[in-house]
Amino acid sequence: MVDETILREKAREVLARDDVRRLIGWKRGTYGYESAPAVLKDASQADELIFDPTCVQNPASFITLEEKLPVPRGQDPDTRKVAVLVKGCDSRAVVQQLVEKAYTRDGVIVLGVPCTGVVDRRKAQKMFGDTSEPVMIKEEGDKFVFIIDGETREGPRAELLADKCVRCRFPNPLVYDELVADEVAVWGADEFADVDEFEKMSPPEKWKFWEEQFSKCIRCYSCRNVCPMCYCLECVVTKQKPQWTRRSTDVSENTAYHIQRAWHLSGRCIECGECERVCPVDIPITTLNRKMTRDVKELFSYEPGVDVEAEPLLSCYNPQDPEEYIM
Amino acid sequence: MGDYKFAKDKLAEVVGALKDYEVFAPAAVGDVLRFKEVEDASSVSFDFKNTNVPPKELMFPETETLFKFRVGKTDIEPAVPDESKKRLVFGIRPCDAMAYTIVEKLYSWDYPDPYFEKRRESSVLFGLACSEPVPNCFCTSLGGGPGSEQGLDALMFDLGETVYVKTITDAGDTVAKAMGLEAAADAEKKAAAAQEKDALGKIKRSIDTEGIPEKLPSLYDHPFWEQFSDRCLSCGICTFLCPTCHCFDIQDEMEAFDGRRARMWDTCMFPEYTLHTSGHNPRPTRKERTRNRISHKYSYFPEKFDVIACVGCGRCINYCPVNIDILDILEKSKQAEAKEAKTA
Amino acid sequence: MSEEYEPNILAFLCNWCSYAGADLAGTSRTHYLPNIKIIRVMCSGRVNPLFLVNALQQGADGVLISGCHPGDCHYLEGNFYARRRFMLMRKLLEHVGVDPGRVNMSWVSASEGAKFKEVIDETVAKAKEAGPMDQFRRRQLNW
Repeated sequence: MVDETILREKAREVLARDDVRRLIGWKRGTYGYESAPAVLKDASQADELIFDPTCVQNPASFITLEEKLPVPRGQDPDTRKVAVLVKGCDSRAVVQQLVEKAYTRDGVIVLGVPCTGVVDRRKAQKMFGDTSEPVMIKEEGDKFVFIIDGETREGPRAELLADKCVRCRFPNPLVYDELVADEVAVWGADEFADVDEFEKMSPPEKWKFWEEQFSKCIRCYSCRNVCPMCYCLECVVTKQKPQWTRRSTDVSENTAYHIQRAWHLSGRCIECGECERVCPVDIPITTLNRKMTRDVKELFSYEPGVDVEAEPLLSCYNPQDPEEYIM
Repeated sequence: MGDYKFAKDKLAEVVGALKDYEVFAPAAVGDVLRFKEVEDASSVSFDFKNTNVPPKELMFPETETLFKFRVGKTDIEPAVPDESKKRLVFGIRPCDAMAYTIVEKLYSWDYPDPYFEKRRESSVLFGLACSEPVPNCFCTSLGGGPGSEQGLDALMFDLGETVYVKTITDAGDTVAKAMGLEAAADAEKKAAAAQEKDALGKIKRSIDTEGIPEKLPSLYDHPFWEQFSDRCLSCGICTFLCPTCHCFDIQDEMEAFDGRRARMWDTCMFPEYTLHTSGHNPRPTRKERTRNRISHKYSYFPEKFDVIACVGCGRCINYCPVNIDILDILEKSKQAEAKEAKTA
Repeated sequence: MSEEYEPNILAFLCNWCSYAGADLAGTSRTHYLPNIKIIRVMCSGRVNPLFLVNALQQGADGVLISGCHPGDCHYLEGNFYARRRFMLMRKLLEHVGVDPGRVNMSWVSASEGAKFKEVIDETVAKAKEAGPMDQFRRRQLNW
C-alpha cells in the first residue's frame, strides 16, 4: 500500500532541489473515476499529489511531450532534470526511452511507485454510473471501495481492474532512483491468450472486424500522442512533404494510420494500455499492438522496456533470424 | 406552434412513416453512439444520453468532397449537396441543436458556405429533451437547457409511455403531420414541463460567464494556462467531439488522372494547424494552443458574433484523457490576476 | 482481353543482386510473368515496410522484396535488417486480415536468373490465389 504522505514528502524533497525543473505525477481529477496528470513546478504543490487506483495515466508520456523550443541568443538552455513518479508499467516506458536514448539517465529522477492495479473507468461506469464529482477509490483485499457522490460502494477487484492490470507482470518499477513504498508481489501472468483467440479468425473475418473498428476512427491522434513511445518530432502520419497518409478519414487512410503506428511500435510497445483507454470511439488498439508484442517475443526472444542495457529490436539482427517465409 | 404526442412503443412506426425523408438517429457500434442514417426504423431508441460524436457531422461531415476534377479538363464538378433531399435529424439534444445556431453565424459570415448551408436548410431537427443530463453538462450556463428550443424545429419529451412533441417551426409541424401524430392534451404538456424542471435541477455544474470574454485577452501572458497545457496531449478529441468547433483543412487528392478537393476536420490543437510553409509556427507549444482554443471560444468568437462558442454539452470534459476541464480553466481564469491587455 | 484477374505486383529489387538477377533473366530470354512492376533500390534494407502499406493502398495486389543472400549483402548487413522488418510487417498485415501471400520476400543473387523467374511465378500465383486487393485500397468511397 502506498502511503500518500510519504509519497508527497519524497516528491517535495525532489522538487525543492535546485537541479529539478518539474515533477510529473497524479492529482485528483475534477470528476469521475480517473485522476489527472499533475506537472508540478514548485515544492509547495507536492500536497496535490495522490496515488490510488484512479491513477491510470502514464507520467512517462509527459517527459517526451514537453516541447524544447530554440533558445534565444544569449540565454542558456534549461538543463535541469525532470522528476517523474512511475508505476511499474510506466517505468517500462522510461526504460525503453532510455534504451532509445530519448534522454540521458541523469536527465530524469525516477520515483518508483509499486502498484497493485488501477480501475478501468469504463468498467466502473457500467457498474456504478457516471458522476460529476471526483471519486475516491481504495483497494481493500479483493475489493475496490468507491466513494461516489458521498456514498460508499464496493465492487470486486477482478471485475473492475483494467485489463492490463489483470495480466501485469511488472507491478514494481524496473528503474528508479527511489521507491516511495515497499515492493509488491507479482500476481499476473501473460500467455497472450487474447491474441491466440483472435488468430482463430480467418483473414476475411479479421478484416471485417478491423474494417468496422477503423471506420469509427476520427483521427484525433490521441492514441499516438498519449503513447510514451510515440515521440517523433515529425510523425510519418502527419508529414505533408511528402504525404504518406491522406488526412481524409476513410477506411483506407484510417487503416494505413493504424498499421503505421502498430508497425512503428513493434518491439517498442511497453503495454501501458493508454492508447486504448484514451480512444474516444473505443477502438481496441491493444489487440493490434499485443500481436506484435507476442510475435517479437516468440521470434526474437525480445521484450521491450525491461533492460536498460538492451539494444532496440530493429537496430540489431541475428544471423540466425527466422526466414521460413522467404523464397 | 402545435402540440402532438405518440405512444413510445409506436416509435418505429412513427419514424417509418416518413417515406421521403432521410432519417438520422443515434446508432451504436459497441458503446459508441453516432448519428447515422436509419436503415431499420425499429432500431431507433430514446435510450441514450448523448452521442460520442456530435451531430455536427451531419452538416459538416468528417470528410467532404468540395469538387472533383480531371487532369486535362478545365471544368470542375462541384459536389454541393442536393438541397432537394429532405433530411430529418431525430433525437438531437437541445445543446447540439443550439450549436448549429452558433456555427451558422460563422458559415454565413463573409463567405456563405454552400455545403453547410444546403445540408442545414434541407434538415429538419426533431430534438429530444433531456430528462437525465450527462454528469458534466453545463448548458444552462450558456443560455441553453434540457428543454431549450433554440435551433430546433420540434422538441420531443420522453414521458415514459408517451412522447410529447412540441413543434416550433412550420417545417417541424409538417413532419409531425406526416408522421401521423395525434394531438396532445394538457396532461402531456404539464408532464413535459415538470420533466424539464426536474432535469434543470439535475444539472450539477455551472460557470458564471459574466466578464470572461472581456477578461481572457488580458490573461494572454499569464502563467495560469500552463497548469492545463502542461498535461495537454495536443490530440483532437476536445475539438472533434465539440459541437461548436468548426475548423477544417482542405486537401487535394489524386487517383491517377482523377482528383478531388476535399475538406476534413482540423483542430487548432495539432501543432501543424498553424505551421507555416516557412517552417515557422506561431503556436509552437501546447500552452499557446490551449490558450488559443479557450480564448477563441470564450472571447474572440463572442467579440465577433455576440455569442460564446460553447453550448455546455460536456463532451470535452468527458472525453479528455488527461482531465483538462474547461470549467476548471474558466474558474481559474476568473481568479487569475489580469495584467495589461496584450494588443494584437 | 482476358477477363481473368491479373494481379498487380510491385517488386523492390536490390541493385546489386536481385536487380542484376532480373537483368540476367531478361538477357537469357527467360519468359517470366509480366505482372510485376520493378522498383530498383540500392539495398533491400532501404525498403521501408510502410512502402508495402502504401502500395497496397494504391492498388498493388502483391508485393515482393528481393535482396542479396544473407551474408552477401553489398552493404554487409542491410538484408539482415530487412529480414527482421518484413517478418514483422507480414505478421502485422496478417493480423489485420491481409492474406500473407501478398507479402513476399526472396533472396536472389546476380547469377540466379532462373530463380528470379520462379520467384516471380510464385509471387504472382500467391497474389492470384489471394484475389484482388480491395480491403483497404483507396477506392474513392466518399468522393
